[in-house]
Amino acid sequence: MRESRRDIVWVAALWGVITLLAEMWVAGAEMVPLGLSREAEIVDDAFDLLLVLAVPVVTFVLVVLGYSVARFRTTTDETGQPVRTNSRFVGAWVAISSGLAVLVIITPGFTGLDELRGEPDSDLTIEVTAEQWNWTFRYVEADVTVEDADELVLPVGERVRFLVTSTDVIHSLWIPGFRIKIDAVPGRVTEVLTTPTETGRFREDPNLRVQCAELCGTGHARMDAAVHVVDAGEFGAWLDGLTGG
Amino acid sequence: MARRLDGGLTMSVLRGAVGGLIGFAIGALIVTGIRAITGAEPWDLEVAIAGGYLFGLTGWVLGVGVWRHWARGWFGKDLAPYRVAGWRRYFAFDTDHKVIGTQYLVTFLFMFFLAGLFAMLMRTELMNPGRDLLTPSSYNNFMSLHGTMMIFVAVAATAGAFGNYIVPIMIGADDMAFPKLNALSYWLVPPVVFFLTASFFSGGYDTGWTGYAPLAVSTKTGELFFNLAFFTLGLSSIVGAVNFIVTIVTMRAPGMTWSRLPIFVWAINITAWLSLIFTQFVALAMMMVALDRTVGTSFFDVGAGGEPLLYQHVFWFYSHPAVYIMILPAFGIVLELVTHFSRKPLFAYKWAVGGMIGIALMSCLVWAHHMFTSGMPDVLRKPFLASTELISIPTGLIFLSALGTIWQGRLRLQVPMLFALGMLFNFLFGGITGVFLADVPVDIQLQDTYFVVAHFHYVIVGGGIFGLFAAIYYWFPKMTGKQMNETLGKVHFWWMFIGFNLTFFPMFWLGLNGMNRRIADYVPSLGGTNRIVSFAGLLLGASFVVFLYNWIHAWWRGPEAGANPWGATTLEWQIPSPPPHENFEEIPLVTGDPYGYGDETVVHAVMSRAEIADV
Repeated sequence: MRESRRDIVWVAALWGVITLLAEMWVAGAEMVPLGLSREAEIVDDAFDLLLVLAVPVVTFVLVVLGYSVARFRTTTDETGQPVRTNSRFVGAWVAISSGLAVLVIITPGFTGLDELRGEPDSDLTIEVTAEQWNWTFRYVEADVTVEDADELVLPVGERVRFLVTSTDVIHSLWIPGFRIKIDAVPGRVTEVLTTPTETGRFREDPNLRVQCAELCGTGHARMDAAVHVVDAGEFGAWLDGLTGG
Repeated sequence: MARRLDGGLTMSVLRGAVGGLIGFAIGALIVTGIRAITGAEPWDLEVAIAGGYLFGLTGWVLGVGVWRHWARGWFGKDLAPYRVAGWRRYFAFDTDHKVIGTQYLVTFLFMFFLAGLFAMLMRTELMNPGRDLLTPSSYNNFMSLHGTMMIFVAVAATAGAFGNYIVPIMIGADDMAFPKLNALSYWLVPPVVFFLTASFFSGGYDTGWTGYAPLAVSTKTGELFFNLAFFTLGLSSIVGAVNFIVTIVTMRAPGMTWSRLPIFVWAINITAWLSLIFTQFVALAMMMVALDRTVGTSFFDVGAGGEPLLYQHVFWFYSHPAVYIMILPAFGIVLELVTHFSRKPLFAYKWAVGGMIGIALMSCLVWAHHMFTSGMPDVLRKPFLASTELISIPTGLIFLSALGTIWQGRLRLQVPMLFALGMLFNFLFGGITGVFLADVPVDIQLQDTYFVVAHFHYVIVGGGIFGLFAAIYYWFPKMTGKQMNETLGKVHFWWMFIGFNLTFFPMFWLGLNGMNRRIADYVPSLGGTNRIVSFAGLLLGASFVVFLYNWIHAWWRGPEAGANPWGATTLEWQIPSPPPHENFEEIPLVTGDPYGYGDETVVHAVMSRAEIADV
């Protein structure tokens, strides 16, 4: 019995130290690339919180596994004590795992979703039409259409509404740097809103790109377009250039 | 008469092939004829294939043995006898559950290695950004075939091989409840292999194993073969599931109460219920695509009033429970091994069983988490987020049981145990990243990226396939009477374990950094990590050379294993290796729980009635 108490103390100590170190590492490490939109902050906060919560769970299982392998290994024929259950351990396990599950449902789950919805009104509407294997962007307010686009130009700080559809198979509009993704489904218009927070371009940050994220056939891998986020003046000039105004 | 039939037994596969061809021709002729009569353009390749399939599959199963061993009886004719010994049995319609289990194992290992070679091709292409080895089209073909074959392996290999071979012995039965149905369920598998091969040689298909419409409707003819292959595997699964359930419910030896059932049997029982209930949905999804392709039903054609998202709902309504069809048998094996190799009773047995049942019940409520970015109504996101996060609770109970068993045990770190512990390690990362992906805000970013690829490989390979190999090493001595080499087994384990983690762990990073899945090319900034992954993948692939050498060599001329080389308590180890045809001389009498380690008062079973008289 005293033996087993000592094992428990050891595991608890190891768990505490390793969890602390892992949490420190997680806090310092840059797990996700730079977020470049309002939505990216919400998504990355959710990811970070889940990581903080996951660390003690992972370290607990690994410490118990590792400690047991190191401490209880044998090559003899002896058997362990016939312990079939332990109501305190089982009870604690069920309570803690249920509590954690409910916690992550509430936050970052539900709270994150509510935050993501955000401001329903937009400053700028872009109709996106996907087809095998290119993108067409129509700036509704300016009535400017860019077909088979190499580039998606957006103004920084303005709320953009994408209205997305497809003419053939299912595609998916994904801008990794913005953390937004919505499928382009034939016969439907799907919607996603985002607010770019930094100016930038694909050449500087490869995550500033539109990438098709739903397998759509032979050209799927290269169904992409550079994203170019500019300030309002530059955006207006760019639109004027296209309308010839 | 009987002798003539017996002499022909080696011809089973040939007869099946001829039956299949004749049936195929008849079916193709009938549908072409119907088209001619109804005024349509008579010849349509896909219609002919679909029509030929129905009759061809029937012709195959009749030819391979259903006619000679089964259907003749319906007409009052003599049935052909079965061979009772010799290697030819393994190439014939045979009703011995041990033969069928071996057939399943070898067939699906073959498929596993073939699909693994496709993965090697894919990783070679992905070693550098830009195009190297494959065209985008052939990359998509290999990717689709790799995914499909591996999913089939994961769905059917463990339950098919060890569910068949071991479960009847573990419960003290002499065979499965429906031996002929069991043989039928296996002989539906070769057509699956045939259709997948046919798809490859008819230009392939590029939809991945998920086969999403409308792409699946508009793409190459290979897609139809994929639909037919999946449909056929579904048929085999359902037939097998009925058999497992009836066997486990009705054929347990006297005294084998539900609370004395080995945990692996519980796992197969619950898996079979999932297969029985949900497989029909994927069959339906496949059928709807095939009908859209062949007769223009337009389930998914928007222009004709169809709905593309319908496919995803129907497909995932099976394919999420299918993930548990893949993983529950591995849970069963791991808990089984953890208790035998820790020399301790299984900790919290009832909670582990409850966890499996909980997983099964909840598995039908989470399918739409595959569709968070699909444009489905926003109101569905929260409920599916919640149900998916909640399924971590019953899954955690499996770890509760495993860790509680290991704790204060006397661990024998032999090869099966290493694979079981490796499975727990891998599945931990697969499971915990599932919590991330269930979170809708995070999933919006990570859906369809390499984060998902890493996640499901940790679950299905790290969990399911490690479980499969644990089972192979553990039951090999029982199946063959031979012992595999322990050192080579350890080399294989560490090689595979390290190769696996080096391959798939960096994929989490790739996904976070903007690499989407199912692509032959990617942005140059991801090149370095992809190269590491590719080399690690080739390393992982090479580890199986060690396994194959050890496996084949031991089967051929390994040392004798004896009846119970691991000193395990369950029934299969109380009979000779390999087991005799009827398994038991007498049906045993079960007197206690199966994991009575360290407790002299618990005796799992009395193997012969004479022993009782002695007592």
